[in-house]
Amino acid sequence: MVWKRLGALVMFPLQMIYLVVKAAVGLVLPAKLRDLSRENVLITGGGRGIGRQLAREFAERGARKIVLWGRTEKCLKETTEEIRQMGTECHYFICDVGNREEVYQTAKAVREKVGDITILVNNAAVVHGKSLMDSDDDALLKSQHINTLGQFWTTKAFLPRMLELQNGHIVCLNSVLALSAIPGAIDYCTSKASAFAFMESLTLGLLDCPGVSATTVLPFHTSTEMFQGMRVRFPNLFPPLKPETVARRTVEAVQLNQALLLLPWTMHALVILKSILPQAALEEIHKFSGTYTCMNTFKGRT
Amino acid sequence: MNIVVEFFVVTFKVLWAFVLAAARWLVRPKEKSVAGQVCLITGAGSGLGRLFALEFARRRALLVLWDINTQSNEETAGMVRHIYRDLEAADAAALQAGNGEEEILPHCNLQVFTYTCDVGKRENVYLTAERVRKEVGEVSVLVNNAGVVSGHHLLECPDELIERTMMVNCHAHFWTTKAFLPTMLEINHGHIVTVASSLGLFSTAGVEDYCASKFGVVGFHESLSHELKAAEKDGIKTTLVCPYLVDTGMFRGCRIRKEIEPFLPPLKPDYCVKQAMKAILTDQPMICTPRLMYIVTFMKSILPFEAVVCMYRFLGADKCMYPFIAQRKQATNNNEAKNGI
Repeated sequence: MVWKRLGALVMFPLQMIYLVVKAAVGLVLPAKLRDLSRENVLITGGGRGIGRQLAREFAERGARKIVLWGRTEKCLKETTEEIRQMGTECHYFICDVGNREEVYQTAKAVREKVGDITILVNNAAVVHGKSLMDSDDDALLKSQHINTLGQFWTTKAFLPRMLELQNGHIVCLNSVLALSAIPGAIDYCTSKASAFAFMESLTLGLLDCPGVSATTVLPFHTSTEMFQGMRVRFPNLFPPLKPETVARRTVEAVQLNQALLLLPWTMHALVILKSILPQAALEEIHKFSGTYTCMNTFKGRT
Repeated sequence: MNIVVEFFVVTFKVLWAFVLAAARWLVRPKEKSVAGQVCLITGAGSGLGRLFALEFARRRALLVLWDINTQSNEETAGMVRHIYRDLEAADAAALQAGNGEEEILPHCNLQVFTYTCDVGKRENVYLTAERVRKEVGEVSVLVNNAGVVSGHHLLECPDELIERTMMVNCHAHFWTTKAFLPTMLEINHGHIVTVASSLGLFSTAGVEDYCASKFGVVGFHESLSHELKAAEKDGIKTTLVCPYLVDTGMFRGCRIRKEIEPFLPPLKPDYCVKQAMKAILTDQPMICTPRLMYIVTFMKSILPFEAVVCMYRFLGADKCMYPFIAQRKQATNNNEAKNGI
């Protein structure tokens, strides 16, 4: 027993070093990408923005079937037509992921019409873009229900079958604001922080489940309609990401079974700084980098 | 050129912030007084909430206690009144000894008010807040402490319990803050205390809903702090309390690795609240108890995810909730825990 403990004690630092080195090597050497030809992909919020690009990317990389969920039929139909023209089978369902009953019913319809979903991409999100005191209560709740609880419902709907099949992947399109909050988007920051914790907890829980894993993607500000009007102070230093870039990196992360993805890589510096700087220093940096004012010109979607 | 100057100013301010932070370590700042101020505590009927109430009472704050459990709330109020009577007796004795020559503290009519309130329900919060304003006055210190845990694995947890956890632990902070912040903003004075958890900084398997709610609270608190800073309301302070596992019975059965437990035992509630009170009274933006949590947070930020998982596993932190969930299930099967949620 003593030897076992000693072994664990010695193994721990060695294991840590090995994993750090492995991660470093992984950055340099290309790894083998997993085949998607037998995967059925479901993308929530799939009608526009990053969701649309994700659908396109999955289709290009040979996914078998793609299912799009969203609340606006026009966008879904357009994206579905586009994917079908690429030669991939594609279906869409109108579903508000913030509505629990609706999620379960639509999930049932998906199973009947399309079959088992093996890759679930939780991409649906809304942002209110106001300070707490200016926010309407219902809008605050809506963000929580769509951005956070929606992930609970979709995961509960599809995860059991993935576990049975021992094949599945759950993806969360989150935001760097989950780790570093800003003023003017308090509902979004709260809900994305919750979603991040959900995914982290789920990822830890799935480590012992063969064939099923999870990926969390934390992109920086992306040029989509959702954050229309948001202004970065130093756009040359921190250029907004393109939806195509986010989608490509996300699908690659799925194929590599990567648990956590920060985009761009420099966001790691942000996370590290946040854990070592005193609060007052953080606030000065926020002020200088313009995060205190970036939401002032926010328009978003109607 | 303007930007270059600003850059150097910011650099200087950042370094100065480090100096100040170091100075705080060497010289403990003086604690501010909350005597005579109205302090509202949610979830005051048990656990940390009750202890916060007692600590604020000892510092002569007027207390407003919110809890969904009327009986335990009244019990806390009884304890508070007991402390108030002790303070008044001590005042009288000191007054007599001093022959009435000096007043020790401005005389306060110390009172405690109790309200039964389900903070998970928005209307309930707003109505009760209105009553507080009418019957007590303006709240200076708001302690958001109320919390629940469902204690189920994700796929076995009823949806209503998931929603309840999110509503009580996370969404309630919207309502209470919206209810009391406007007045704080008007007079540029107040303090908002958010009691989160170490599970608001790093997750563990098995309690997805609880972790999600606590991370959400941390995100809310951060965003709120930045909003107040951006609005230049320096009179309103915020403090985030992130205690490690507290021995209050809420997570009975939870345990990390056997060999690590002596180094990282569950916190005594008293110690946790005393540390938090120090942070609150010195306007500290955040406190993790014990300090080891800061190191874990830092490690988590610099290591790749696989290494973080390895660290979690070594500490036994990744599955530490499984014994708690198992115990909860057993208790539920015995029909004992039905009132617990």
